[in-house]
Amino acid sequence: MTRRPLATIHQGNRQMFAKKAVAALLTGTAAIGAAGAAQAQTTTPAAQTTAAGTVISNTASVSYTVNGTAQTTNSTTASFVVDRKVNFTVVTDQSGYTQVNLNQQNAVTTFRVTNLTNGTQDFLLDADQPGLLTGLLIGTDNFDMLNLRVFADSNNNGVYDPGVDTQTYIDELAPDASVAVFVVGNVPNLPSASIAWDSLHVTAAAGGATGTKGAALIATDLNLGNADNTVDIVFADDDSDGALNLGDIARNGQGRAYSGYQVGVRNVALTVSKSARILSDGVNTLNPKAIPGATVEYCLLVNNATTTTPATAVALTDVVPANTTYVAGSISIGTPGLLGVACVVNGSTEDDDADDAAETDGLTASFDTATKTVTANVGDVAGGGRIAASFRVTIN
Amino acid sequence: MFPSFLSSAAVSVSALGLLMVAPAIAAGPLEVTAHILVEAKQRATDGTTRVALVPATRVVPGDRVVFQLAYRNTGRQPLADIVLDNPVPAAIAYRAPAEGSAAPELTVDGRRWGPLATLDVALPGGGTRAATAADVTRVRWRLGAPLAPGAAGRLAFQAVLK
Repeated sequence: MTRRPLATIHQGNRQMFAKKAVAALLTGTAAIGAAGAAQAQTTTPAAQTTAAGTVISNTASVSYTVNGTAQTTNSTTASFVVDRKVNFTVVTDQSGYTQVNLNQQNAVTTFRVTNLTNGTQDFLLDADQPGLLTGLLIGTDNFDMLNLRVFADSNNNGVYDPGVDTQTYIDELAPDASVAVFVVGNVPNLPSASIAWDSLHVTAAAGGATGTKGAALIATDLNLGNADNTVDIVFADDDSDGALNLGDIARNGQGRAYSGYQVGVRNVALTVSKSARILSDGVNTLNPKAIPGATVEYCLLVNNATTTTPATAVALTDVVPANTTYVAGSISIGTPGLLGVACVVNGSTEDDDADDAAETDGLTASFDTATKTVTANVGDVAGGGRIAASFRVTIN
Repeated sequence: MFPSFLSSAAVSVSALGLLMVAPAIAAGPLEVTAHILVEAKQRATDGTTRVALVPATRVVPGDRVVFQLAYRNTGRQPLADIVLDNPVPAAIAYRAPAEGSAAPELTVDGRRWGPLATLDVALPGGGTRAATAADVTRVRWRLGAPLAPGAAGRLAFQAVLK
């Protein structure tokens, strides 16, 4: 398979998997340059072409003489209406797969839609998960994302903002303007999950009303009467998935681009270290000793040495040592303090009963009196991050 | 004489309004009809593709269009010194004389007329550059011989919709 030069001409910076010959197929590139006759159009940005609906009319003025007497007249006026040449590109606007973790919510693949039409218009968006892309993307699709949704980048910052980028279609995209489109999905908690492919399907739709989702455009049938002096719809978009014919054909007013999610990291280097510090013994104020009645703080320090991947839902359990008594309400979770000085800085005080209804910070803890086990659910430990949990006992 | 060219040129580039005016033109002996045609590729039965000129019902940017003037002397006297002056609409880029038509004189500024090679365009910072086909603002044809009663002809130029 040879590389199609089309994609690199128009979207050289958007290319995915640059080392693969198939890479060019990922970017959906519209009609430009596909036919030799269209070369003049390649260099003209859509915004500089004549807008659809413009009336072009022509009248010549004529002068002549009849037996030496000068006369003037005008020709009749011929006119036509410039039609809508629907063209756009859909490309994958990220490099490689989106790296995800099992059970991750709202994982994003990013695409970009550029309007090359001689007029402003809407674009309808939908995402699907084709299973027949073997050879197009690296690897093999073996799971499906859950709850796949698609949103336009409403605030145009190139980043998916949940709750802000809520528009499910592209509204009023001007000629030559482009906008990012996010396909958002949840990763299932499936141990075998490795790669899920997804595809953004874009359909050109009628513009003209801000905030209104236009109807999909239909190419004007030129066999119909009265096609003169109206704005016809002419599709000029290319086959965006090339020779594979997976979901798009040329001049259909639709386009596709492909991307995917990869569960890359399945484990993180999570370590826990435990230390003890005598807080008070009731006798010595300066250097308290481990004597009966002394209060001891145990410190559990969790470290995620994998810098790129967070560990989620980290739970710590620790059995209180024999001959000690757990101090009720002493569990605290927070940022690790200076070693030997403080275990937790600005730690939360956790309710240590089994009922977590009153817990509001997302972190929970409990003490099981039967097994003498302290449990601290410290939540997510960011890639390269640390979290500490402490509790206190008294020596019997 | 000449100023009347200028005024009609200004009107003709404006849009549809002129359609209403057109039928009101005095029925002089010289009848001039304007047509706009578009080049369309048509597949012949033998498998070849031919370019045909069809009425401009479907025109999108980049398409080649042909502006045609058909003239006829409907009077009883011969008409002399015929000059057909055709402003090139703003969204249209002149390309060449159409096939079978006499080459028009061209102008980029409305003052100097001639073949493209003889024209130049003034640059904003002073100086000039050679004119290109896209710079042409008007074309005109001057018929050398008087037009006999009943005689007719056709002139055309090729252009591209910007």
